[in-house]
This record gives sequence, structure tokens and C-alpha cells, in this order.
Amino acid sequence: MSRDSDDAKVDLTPQNWSDLPVEPVTDVSHETGFQVVNKSVPRRDGVAKVTGRALYTSDITLPRMAHARIVRSPVAHARITSIDVSAALERPGVYAVLTGEDLKALPHTHYGHAVPDHAVLAIDKVIFVGEPVAAVIAASERIAQQAMEDVVVEYDELDAVITVDEALSPEAPVIHGRAFTSGAFRGFEEETVAGQTSNICEEAHVGWGDVEEGFSQATTIVEGEYYYPMAYAYAMEPYVAVGDVSDNSLTVYSSAQHPFMVRHDLAHVFGMSLGQVRVVVPYVGGGYGSKSYTKIEPLAAACSWWAKRPVKIQLGVEESILTTRGDDALVRMRTGVDSDGRIIAREATIYLNSGAYAENSPLVCKKSANRIVGPYAIPHVKVDCYSVYTNTCPASSFRGFGASLVTFGAESQIDELAEKLGEDGLSFRLRNVADEGERFFPKMRGLDANLKGDLRKLAAMLEWDAEPQAGRGKGLAVSASDAGAHPITTAAIKLHGDGSVTVLTGSTELGQGSHTVLAQIAAEEFGIPLESVQVVASDTAIVPFERSTGASRTTTLMGRAVQEACQEAIAQLCEMGSEAFGVPPEEIEQESGGLRHGDRSMAWSELLTSFFGMPDCEIVGRAYLRRAGDLKELPPFWEIGCAGVEIEVDEETGRIELTRLAAVGDVGLAINPAMAEGQDLGAAAMGIGTGLFEELVYDGQQLANANLWDYRVPRFTDIPSDVRLELTQDQNGVGPYGAKGGGEGSLNPMSASIANALYQATGVRVHEAPLTPERVWQALQAKKSSQREAE
Amino acid sequence: MNRLPAFTISQPQSVAEASEMLASLGDSGRLYAGGTELLATMKEGALLYDTLVDVKTVPGLADIRVQDGELWIGAAVTHFSIETSPIVRELLPVLSYVESRVANTRVRATGTLVGNLCFAEPHSDPATMLLCLDARVVAQSTRGERQLTIDEFFVGAYETALEEDEVVTSVVVPLPPANWRMAYKKFQIIERPTLGLGVVLELNDGGDSVATARAAVGCVSESPLRSSAAEAQLAGPLESLLERLDAAGDSLADEADLLDDREGSAEYKRHLIKVFLKRAVQQALQSDGPSR
Ligand SMILES: Cc1cc2nc3c(=O)[nH]c(=O)nc-3n(C[C@H](O)[C@H](O)[C@H](O)COP(=O)(O)OP(=O)(O)OC[C@H]3O[C@@H](n4cnc5c(N)ncnc54)[C@H](O)[C@@H]3O)c2cc1C
Repeated sequence: MSRDSDDAKVDLTPQNWSDLPVEPVTDVSHETGFQVVNKSVPRRDGVAKVTGRALYTSDITLPRMAHARIVRSPVAHARITSIDVSAALERPGVYAVLTGEDLKALPHTHYGHAVPDHAVLAIDKVIFVGEPVAAVIAASERIAQQAMEDVVVEYDELDAVITVDEALSPEAPVIHGRAFTSGAFRGFEEETVAGQTSNICEEAHVGWGDVEEGFSQATTIVEGEYYYPMAYAYAMEPYVAVGDVSDNSLTVYSSAQHPFMVRHDLAHVFGMSLGQVRVVVPYVGGGYGSKSYTKIEPLAAACSWWAKRPVKIQLGVEESILTTRGDDALVRMRTGVDSDGRIIAREATIYLNSGAYAENSPLVCKKSANRIVGPYAIPHVKVDCYSVYTNTCPASSFRGFGASLVTFGAESQIDELAEKLGEDGLSFRLRNVADEGERFFPKMRGLDANLKGDLRKLAAMLEWDAEPQAGRGKGLAVSASDAGAHPITTAAIKLHGDGSVTVLTGSTELGQGSHTVLAQIAAEEFGIPLESVQVVASDTAIVPFERSTGASRTTTLMGRAVQEACQEAIAQLCEMGSEAFGVPPEEIEQESGGLRHGDRSMAWSELLTSFFGMPDCEIVGRAYLRRAGDLKELPPFWEIGCAGVEIEVDEETGRIELTRLAAVGDVGLAINPAMAEGQDLGAAAMGIGTGLFEELVYDGQQLANANLWDYRVPRFTDIPSDVRLELTQDQNGVGPYGAKGGGEGSLNPMSASIANALYQATGVRVHEAPLTPERVWQALQAKKSSQREAE
Repeated sequence: MNRLPAFTISQPQSVAEASEMLASLGDSGRLYAGGTELLATMKEGALLYDTLVDVKTVPGLADIRVQDGELWIGAAVTHFSIETSPIVRELLPVLSYVESRVANTRVRATGTLVGNLCFAEPHSDPATMLLCLDARVVAQSTRGERQLTIDEFFVGAYETALEEDEVVTSVVVPLPPANWRMAYKKFQIIERPTLGLGVVLELNDGGDSVATARAAVGCVSESPLRSSAAEAQLAGPLESLLERLDAAGDSLADEADLLDDREGSAEYKRHLIKVFLKRAVQQALQSDGPSR
């Protein structure tokens, strides 16, 4: 390939960008009669983002704003015996230095939505390498950075526990010697408590039937231990926040995914009412769970409180890795099959290394326990999952949390069972996966997907029956996640006097496309052009409450809230039309862009003008979703993962290369098919990372690779040239037009698919992800030497 | 986020002026080419300089030329320029190939070959191949000019034989005669190569035997290295070359004094050396000239 030929002649003047051809990937709109939804319209923030005009938190500068840099702990577990900030304070341009001691003047020093165990700055004790110990607040980042070196901290080191084994040993020091009650979820079904007297942060126990009985009836049993690594949910934008505390209010600009959850923690720390706290989130440069819940916002706010001026904290990638990572998972599991080849029992014990603070790990723990069961109706199940505090970087959400880390073992084991039965993984799964509507997980919503159909599509894309070339193998895997999208979602729309619309939403635009999809829904409902809809998002002082932007909830829940808010406004307009037309509201019909009675039509603008008597007035439509009606049953939808690969193995080096990637996105209805497929491919690409090379490694107390030189994230060149994506659009979800969540699913089966393909290609099974060349090579060596012994 | 500390850039107009600047700056100054290593390391806070002396402003250092059967590459020449240079592609395609495999587009576009060598980061692709090609480094100061072999040039990880005020002006690579066969192979998992392996085989007149051989391995020790034992083992009839490869690989691995680390166990690295020695030899012999 000649690199010169890459410079294809594309006209890069911005006005031409919106004309770039966007091919509809799957367009069912001609069948369903949709005008705006189910079409691959270009993303609305695309031009602003590629031309650098989109506003991100790092672009925000306030009058008198200072910059803070964070002094971090070099040791994993120690008492802080002294902090001397006097030399730092003497440096010109340094405004203040904040330490844990200073925080004691605040109403609360700790935060945490699950449990408030997280100190804003270490107080008296540090519990992991990288923990913030002091913040230097200065006129510029550079001055703050130089002054950091003048802050002298003395530590009295304590025994540290880095691994789960160490943390659970009877002699282990207890990291949090106190109990915590629930944070934002008090009295709510996601409530959690932690801390207590051991290093167990949270445990979850799921089960039904009688596993011992189940295994006694099983004719084939496979047992194994699987490890899925700690990973960093790399986003291009590292954490950034600007805090601005005044006498009676606090405003924080942040890269947070969930502004309302951050608001809770801020109100708690500063003893303010929810109304006094305003969290504003501009565009976010990728989240993937890493920006779920509160990160550096309390510290930015505390710096502002201490220095009496707005303060910005901008982290780099290295510090972001030390801020949050994903839990790893050690899974011990056995699964049994009866004489009909049906899975009869599954038993698993899961240990998560959750790091120094709970963050979202209690929820990761609960979800892991559920999701390891897989999309199978298994009569006997017992799962015990433990989230364990250690003196390592705190773990929290990682895209589709609780799924990818256990699906690696769960779906590897399914293939191992099939192998033992002399069957292939596809036919084994086709016999065992739950049917549409089947309540395969007790007390949960029945499966709202045709997973067997999805599997057949996947098999077709992988050309499953065709023998792979020598050195190659194919593998597939499936998952179903009980989406953690708790239905508490509210939205408002404003219909303006000229018939244009503003959507007010608490969903954050992380790059996933919410600004485009929500606008498409509003345009569809009002029958107006997409260009007539604007989206205002994620300012807690302006937009209605939304629990979070995660768990693939936005299209389903916020999409539906926007749809209902539009419909509520239209109901108001019918009342206005009744007055204008002089007929009862029931006789009025909606048409594109307005209302009609007989052959008289009134556009939305005319209705508003006739009602208010003046142009430019507006009405508000609103919707409140909660656990009621068809949203009563949890989960609101099952997020399906259905993906597979063909790989080529270099047996001499152990290196795996993907030669084909295939994924089915079972999304009910894709509001924007191109973006839905983009999400599937993005999720699968993340799965290539943890499947092949991505892992955070501790060397003693230190993270050995907390930077992008040593921690490899997937690149375009890691994605095979042969990518096949298909969307299943059965309109069977609770979201607008039958939509369901997507965008996390394709990550979950990836590492198991790769391991299954490796087995097909070479006959070796690797139980530890990522499947690095050396791990694969070692496994191949072990196979060779056992073959030699057998001879 | 770490910020680059403030510094001044000096723009010398000659090598002599650059050398004088370096001499007077001492520890507080450093040469600056593409900055891809230097600025990143300064940003991390691992190196600190008040003044950077920009080699790119010195006229005459941006050329690639042939002189007396040798290829001269100037200190300001980027990886990308070498990769795409018609002269290099024609006369020493193996180097064009090595350069095409360095780092990523951004680094190749700004980073220089000389900067790569002078930083002496142990994971260098070109250093390994240049060692194999018997290349030399030309260093100049106010005291004059000297040439160092690649072997003399590297002292250890991040350490070269350069004096504080010496400026590397060029790298010189003897152009191979027609009966030479050569290849470079790299294996990479993370950001820098895990292993680099170069071979140069001189064939006898009949073309059925290796008269002399050179083999270099990089990335597995502080600096790239050759093994005379391995080279002796590689010499001999082509017919039986495959059988001699395993022993030659072991000799190279012995020379490297392999360690277990995050890049792999010593056992795995030894194995990789053998695999890539074999692949490099096979590839070298497939070509019908001194190409990649
Ligand atoms: C992300 C990344 C990936 C990389 N991957 C690879 C890889 O796969 N393979 C590989 O081989 N390399 C790799 N590299 C290294 C890369 O080749 C070097 O960064 C680059 O060549 C350095 O050249 P520079 O001009 O930027 O040097 P600079 O950063 O400007 O200088 C580097 C050092 O050389 C000194 N120096 C520069 N010029 C002279 C001179 N004329 N005389 C004396 N001293 C001088 C400087 O003082 C400094 O100490 C990678 C680098 C990065 C950043």
C-alpha cells in the first residue's frame, strides 16, 4: 500500500461536510412509514467536533479562575504523619494549598453514591498509590506543578493488601475500619452498605433450584477457573472539572456522565440543598463508564471553596488511570448438562478486586452475579460474588459493567461443554438459549429478544459451516445483560412560537449520539424537519432530572420520555386547536407539522399564536418515567451481546490476529442505524482490547503501566478489514417505536469469542484474558509437552 | 495533567555554533530535533532543560545523499523522509522498510533517525538494523569531527558515547554489494517493539553458501547487539543453513543475557529470537538482491 494514496482529495471546507454521503446501513423506514427516525442522518455535533468548535469542559475559563494540581500518594497504605505546605505557599502565584486536614471544616469530608466511603482528599491515611493528598491552587497549571514539589508529606507505612487473596487473609489489615450506610440510593432498591469490619465491600448471592441436585443429575460437567483483567476505560478526554463556590451556591462544570448523581454528592459534601448546586456538563469526550458518578468534582469544588475563586482541575491520562479503573474478576465456575444436552446447573464464585473505594463496584458486584448466568434457562443456579477492597486504584463501571468480566469465563465454559459433548458451540447454544418471552431469570422480565434468530444471523456472517483455512479458527459467544437502566427519567420539550422545538434532557452527549437521536424522536413526533429541533443537555439547573447516562438507557428511557413529552405538548395543542377550530378535541387530527380538522389545517406556530395572541410564545411538554406500567418489570430490557470472530494464530509466536469480526445488534429499532452500528463496532473493538492485550498490571504496590506507552488500547489497525454488522429490528423494546438499548452488548462476548476461536484453531484453551502472544504460546507449549508425554 | 515546563529555544546557524551553545549551557541545555522523545520526557518531568538547541535550524543537515558508495543521512532527516526517499528505496530498501515500521505516522513525520539513535532508548528498530549494516555515526564539536561505529556509539540504555558538546551530523551506511542479502523483522505488542532482528548475509560467488553473516538483535537488552558465535554459525552452505539456525539463535540469545520482565519471560524471548532469526534469514534469501 502506498501511503501517498491515503491523501484522497476530499474538500475539507466545513460547509461541505454536512453533504458528505451518509449511507443508511439498515433502513426499514420505508416499511414502517417513519419520517425522521430509523434513518442514518449525520450526527448533529459532527462538524462542530471535527472543526474544534465543540465546547468541552477543558475549554471553560471563568473570571479569576485558578488551576489546581494534585499531590498524590507514592505509597499504598500509610498514615500521613505530616504535611508541610509552607514552602509551596511562598512561591509567587500560589494561592492556596488544600489538605485533608482543611476539609474537616466542611459538613462532610467523604462522598460516594453507593456508600460515602471516598475521602475528597486523603484524611490522616492514604489507601492507594495515586490517592490525592493535597491540591496546590495557583495562577497557572505550571506554577501549581512546580509548587507541588515543595509540598512535603511524611508517611508512616502500613501493611498493604494488593490482591484479593491478601485482602481476604485473616491477618489482612482492614482498609476501612468503619461501616458506611448507603449514599444516593438510601431506601432505594439499589441500596448498598459496605465497610464493616472486613475488606469485603459488597457481596451478592443469586440462586434458585438446588445446584447439588442439579449436578447430581448432570451427565457432563465442566469446571474451571477464569481471570479477566483490570482495565482502564480509556476515553480521549481525561477527567476535568471546574468548581465555583460562592456564598450560597456551587456550580461545577465537569466531564461527568451523570450530572444529577454528581449533584447529590456535592450537595452532601457541602451541606447544600439540591437547588443550590448546579452541575453543568458540556460535550464529553468519551465515557465508557469511566466517567460514571462522581470523580474529581468534589475536589474541584473544595479547592474553589478554599481558595475563594473558581478552580479548574485538568487531569492527564496517567492521573485518570489512577482515578478509576474497571474491576478484574477471578471466576471459579462449573456448569453441568443433562442427558438431553441441556444446561441443568451452574455454580460460580466471583471475586472482584475493587480497589480502595467502593465507587460503583457494589453495583458491578450485583450485576456480575446476575450476568454470569447467561441467557440460558438453567434450573439450578448458585452464584456468590464478592467485591473486595484492596490498596489499589478504585474500580468502578467499565462499559456494560458486570458483563464482559464474567462472560469471558461463562461463555468459554459453554464451548468447553459443547466440546465435551462432541458438539459445536453454535448448535449447543441454539438448543440452550432462552426463547423470546421466556422468563429464564426468575422474577425478571422475560427475554425481549429473538436470540436464536440473532445467533443464526451471526453464524451466517461468520460462514460458520465453512471450514476455516489452516491456522484459522472461528468462535462466537452470547450474553444477555439485565440492563441497569433503572427507569427514573424525566424530560421536557419546549415548542417555540415558530414551531421549532428545544429538547431539555439530562442525558449527556458522550459521543454516543444522544443529541442526534433525541432530536430525531422529537422531529418525528411533531412532524417537523430535524433542523427545527435543538437539544439542551445536562445542566442540572435547567433540564429535568435523569438518573444517569449509562447502562444503554438513553435511547430507550430518555427517548421514550422525550416522545411522551412531545405527545403531552401535542395534547395541550389539541386543546388549543379545539378553541381555534371551535370543535371538540377528539375531532382534531394530527398531521405533519400541525393539526387538522376536515380540510382546515393549522401549523404548530399558528396554534400557539392563536392561543397566546402574540407570536414567539411557547409551551412546555413534559414526561416523568418511573417503575410503573410496562416499565414496572426489571430490567426494562435485556441487552443482547451476540458477536463472533475469525482469527489467525501464529503458532510460533502465539500472536492472534482477527481476520473477521461479526456482531448482531438486537436493538428493537435503531433510531439511527449508522450510529447504532457504530456503537456495536466500538463496543466490539473494546472487546478486542481486553481480549488480546489490554490489562492494567500491578507490580507490588505500583501500577506498572498507568500510561498509554505501556497500556495498549485498540487502534483502527486492530480492527480487521472484514467487519460484518447486522441489526435486528423487531420493535420489541419498551423504548420509543419498540427501541431497546445497545452499545454495550458487543463488548461482552468478545474475549470469549476469541478464546473459543483459539481453541478451534489450535486445540488450546486459555483461561486468562487478555490472550497475549506469550499466554497463547505458553498454552501451546504445554499442549505439546503433554502430547510428548502421552507418546 | 503534566505541563511542559517553560524553556527557551536557541536556533544555531552552524554545527559549530550549536556545539558552542551546548558547551556553554552544560546540563541546562540539550539538542532538540523532532522532540518526540525529548518533549515527552520533559513533560513527564524526567528531564529538565532551560534551553533547547534546535538542530533543524542548522543548514545542511536535512539531506540524504550518496558519497563514495555510502549513504549519508543528515541529523534533521525524519523517519518518514527516509522511508519515502527514492534513493533509499532503490539502494537500501531494507532501511526504507525498517523506517516504515517505526512508531506511528505522527512520530515518523516529526521524529528523526538521529534523534532515535541519540536518545538510545533500548527499543529502537533502526539501531538494530544499522548495527547489522556496519553503519557509523558522525559527531562534530568545536574540537573537530569523529566517527563512531554503532557499537561504540551505544554505551547503555539512554546512554551514548557522545560528549556534552558533540552534535551528530549524519549517519553513514555503507551500501551493500549485489551479493548481499538482508532483512529486518520486528515483533511488537505494545507501543514499542518487543523484539527487532536484522540479518545481513554475504553470499559466495556460486550463491550457494553464506560467506559471511551478520545478525543483530534489539529491544531485549540495553542496546542492540551482535554475536560473533551466531555469525560464525550462520556462515556456511545454504543447504544446511536451516539446521544451523537454532544454534545461531541460541548464541544470539546467550549474548543478550535475557531477563524476565513485562515484555515477556526470558524463555519466551529466547524462543522469539529463534523464530525471527529464521524468518529474517528466509526473507533475506527470498530476495534476489540486497533488498528487504
Ligand atoms: C509513541 C512512540 C512510539 C515509538 N515507537 C518506536 C518504534 O516502534 N521503533 C523505534 O525504533 N522507535 C520508536 N519510537 C522512537 C522514535 O523513533 C523517536 O522518538 C524519534 O526518532 C526521536 O527523534 P526526534 O527527532 O524526535 O528526537 P528528539 O526527541 O528531538 O531528541 C531525542 C534525543 O536525541 C538528542 N539529539 C537529537 N538530535 C541530536 C543530534 N543531532 N546530535 C546529538 N543529539 C541529538 C536529543 O538531545 C535528545 O536527547 C517511538 C516514539 C514514540 C514517541
